[in-house]
Amino acid sequence: MATGSTTDFTLDSAAELAAEEHGAIEGKSPWLLAWRRLRRNYLALSFLLLFVAIVVICALAPVYSTHVAHTGPNEGHLGETFTRDGKQVQIVSKGGFVNGVFVAGGIPVGPQLWHAGGRYVFGSDNQGRDVAVRLLYGGINSLKVGIGSAVICTLLAVVFALLAGYYGGWVDWVISRFFDLIWAFPVLLLAIALGTALSINGFHHFGINLDAGSLWIPTLVISYVLIPYVGRPLRGQILSLREKEFIEAATAQGAGPFRVMFTELTPNIASSVLVFFTLIIANNILTEAGLSFLGAGVQPPNASWGTLIADGQDRIVTAPWLAIIPGIAIVLTVLSLNVFGDGLRDALDPRAKVRLEH
Amino acid sequence: MRSNSKVFRPLGMLALVAALALVAGGCGGSGKKSSSGGSNGNSGKTYPLLRLAFDAPDYMDPGLYYTVAAYQATNYVWTGLMGYKHLPGAAGAELVPYLAESMPTISADGMNLKFKLRANLKYSNGAEVKASDFRYTIERDFKIDSPGVGFFSSIKGVSGDKGFAATKKGHISGIITDDAARTIEVQLDHPEGDILYIFALEFAHFVPAGTPASDQSTHPIPATGPYMLQSYTPNRSFTLVRNPNYNNQIPTMPSGNPDKVVGKIVTDPVASYQQVVNDQADYDYNQVPNDRLPEAQSKYKDQLRIYTNANTWYYYLNNRIPPFNNLKARQAVNYAIDRQAIVSGPFGGLGRPTQNFLPPGYPQYKKITDYTFDIAKAKQLVKESGTAGATVDVYGTNEEPAKGSIEYLAGQLTKIGYKPKLHLLAHGVYFQTIGNQATKAQAGHTDWYQDYPHPLDWFDVLLNGNRITETHNNNPGNVNVKSVDAEIEALKKITELTPAVNARWAKVDRDLMFTYATTVPYLNRSSTDFFSAKMDMSCYMFSVVLYWDWGVSCQK
Repeated sequence: MATGSTTDFTLDSAAELAAEEHGAIEGKSPWLLAWRRLRRNYLALSFLLLFVAIVVICALAPVYSTHVAHTGPNEGHLGETFTRDGKQVQIVSKGGFVNGVFVAGGIPVGPQLWHAGGRYVFGSDNQGRDVAVRLLYGGINSLKVGIGSAVICTLLAVVFALLAGYYGGWVDWVISRFFDLIWAFPVLLLAIALGTALSINGFHHFGINLDAGSLWIPTLVISYVLIPYVGRPLRGQILSLREKEFIEAATAQGAGPFRVMFTELTPNIASSVLVFFTLIIANNILTEAGLSFLGAGVQPPNASWGTLIADGQDRIVTAPWLAIIPGIAIVLTVLSLNVFGDGLRDALDPRAKVRLEH
Repeated sequence: MRSNSKVFRPLGMLALVAALALVAGGCGGSGKKSSSGGSNGNSGKTYPLLRLAFDAPDYMDPGLYYTVAAYQATNYVWTGLMGYKHLPGAAGAELVPYLAESMPTISADGMNLKFKLRANLKYSNGAEVKASDFRYTIERDFKIDSPGVGFFSSIKGVSGDKGFAATKKGHISGIITDDAARTIEVQLDHPEGDILYIFALEFAHFVPAGTPASDQSTHPIPATGPYMLQSYTPNRSFTLVRNPNYNNQIPTMPSGNPDKVVGKIVTDPVASYQQVVNDQADYDYNQVPNDRLPEAQSKYKDQLRIYTNANTWYYYLNNRIPPFNNLKARQAVNYAIDRQAIVSGPFGGLGRPTQNFLPPGYPQYKKITDYTFDIAKAKQLVKESGTAGATVDVYGTNEEPAKGSIEYLAGQLTKIGYKPKLHLLAHGVYFQTIGNQATKAQAGHTDWYQDYPHPLDWFDVLLNGNRITETHNNNPGNVNVKSVDAEIEALKKITELTPAVNARWAKVDRDLMFTYATTVPYLNRSSTDFFSAKMDMSCYMFSVVLYWDWGVSCQK
């Protein structure tokens, strides 16, 4: 609307814009705009595809286990053989004393690829278990813990951030000190301490019964220790948003605190939450691998990529595949999530891209 | 004695040993005269420095330590009335007088032992070694809650409500000493066939009267042996140097070849192996990692030695609670275990399969071969027992090879129809956890390295139902076969191990392992000694008691 003043800004009417655009101007939501940007980012989409492929392949573990490898993830085959090219091959080499002479043994068979009819495609571990089967089941566990802990962590972080940012005052003080308390410990050390303590006898308090081997233990431990890493930046955003006019307007119209928090504030931090969520899955998968490697995460005989690496480290010279293959799985998964997460952030928050490019 | 990262300390294994033990046992004879020679032909080949890549000792105080690392490092430092010949093979398990002038005089009923100290004995600080130091040493053990106090329970005045073990006041009435005459008389409540072996334990190694009744690891206690502890920094290093006041005062043990011994604590087996390969250390105490064994065998064959001492690794099955309070269920597990497969797998070949509880080499050992690996039979037995589908809480440590072994057990339990739940704990808390009845461990791993070569150290300590306790239970399987318990109690009183007595012990072994299938022994573990190229392997001596005898080692 023109004001008649030469110094004022002018806003073109929709009709004028439409004339420029040679067509009607359609309203586009920020999500649609983000998707338009994301779909032009082929690198991010490729890595999203890779992540989806990893998830699908892992999800097919039971099928592979039953119909291809013909063995379960925790089923050991010490002392057994399999057939390769018509010959019997020892799954784990025999050792001991033969006529008083020591013979070193315990070396698991290496990757057979498809030469053994689908058995031991990635070789065996020192219990005679099929590494490929354990890799897939381990992937399920790693993804369950990684994604599950990311969901819990993000949900709790959002709730805490909303409460702290909206209410301020003593609520903010209490929640911020809670964040400080967790943050005061190195994250991995805190996770190791909690994971180790809970992995001995599980958790049996307040009506909650978690066995020592339950996947919920690493999931909850990782969720807990990472809450401040998501909660703090979100709290900062909420503190800023709650001073905006649209919040004042909502309040003036009689909206209560919960309505403001969940219908006004939450949508405005949704893009940040989505980016955090994507990136924190990768981070949590790495944390799970670290915990399991140290014996404080997924408990044997269940596999995760971390436990598989731990199992392989004792045989790094004679059976390097035991550590290398799950290592590659972790690298690909984390890389795919990180690259996609970066792409998502660029799409949702173009200003960030500008900053990054500078 | 339970395993640590390598092994806890044993004292011998072998055939002749028990026969010797009997004599010792005070079986009514008069004392034996001192044997000569505790050394082989390598004495006198001195060299300046021996560098060890060693495991961490638990303590460097003879009243407290109970690990092989500490024992092996200090067996030339502190000594007792009795000790072992420094000879290879079975001869190395023979007791000889160390600080005692000769073997003791033992009363006909075996309840009174009289020792006389050698003349002019001195500690490394120049102080005189007195007869009363022996009593002080034993009393100090009680005051510092030494893990060895149980060995002295048969000494008069120790047990009971008013005994020294309870009051820790006054003196032990059953130890009578005369400093002027250098005599020590020990009175027992009942004859004990292994008492002289007990006096050779580190807990009876002399410390000067007045040594504080607290851990003195970092304040070296004066030594009576050829070496003294110069310094010890926990988890870092220890240094042994020659005892300036030794003067060959114990002619039954070698004076030692290295002038100085520096032990660096390297608990990572890969690192300690590499240190020896790189000539940064002369001896790797740790087990050569399975991963590096093929290389060590091919590339450093002359520097590698493999030995099997008196130990048994076994799975305990809780005989008190379901499902393993059922004989057929226990038999099923015994049939489900492929012992050779465990040797090959988690142990990399370093072990010998066994179905006996006693290790081979004991005169009481009679090989059991009844359990042939048979999964189908095991499944059938589980079915017949009516326990199929039961959940089994399986406990183990999270260190290899025990971890691999317990994972194998869990796998086999699954195969025969149980639902195992695996609990892997750190070694430091493992035995107290499974030794607590509240844990209700149904099955798990354990192992035992003998304290001294006598069947009592196995069956009485580990499988006698009369010794089951609520906490710190050495019998986590709660094995309690009344008829066998009675036989163990009867055999305990017999001090002479005749062939007939040995046959009775062999029957105890067979009854517990086969007839009642109480336990699942699966292997006797073998271990490695690995040396730098600098060491002259012609001087290598392995003793069943002392392990690698570094005192008689020599360099090229």
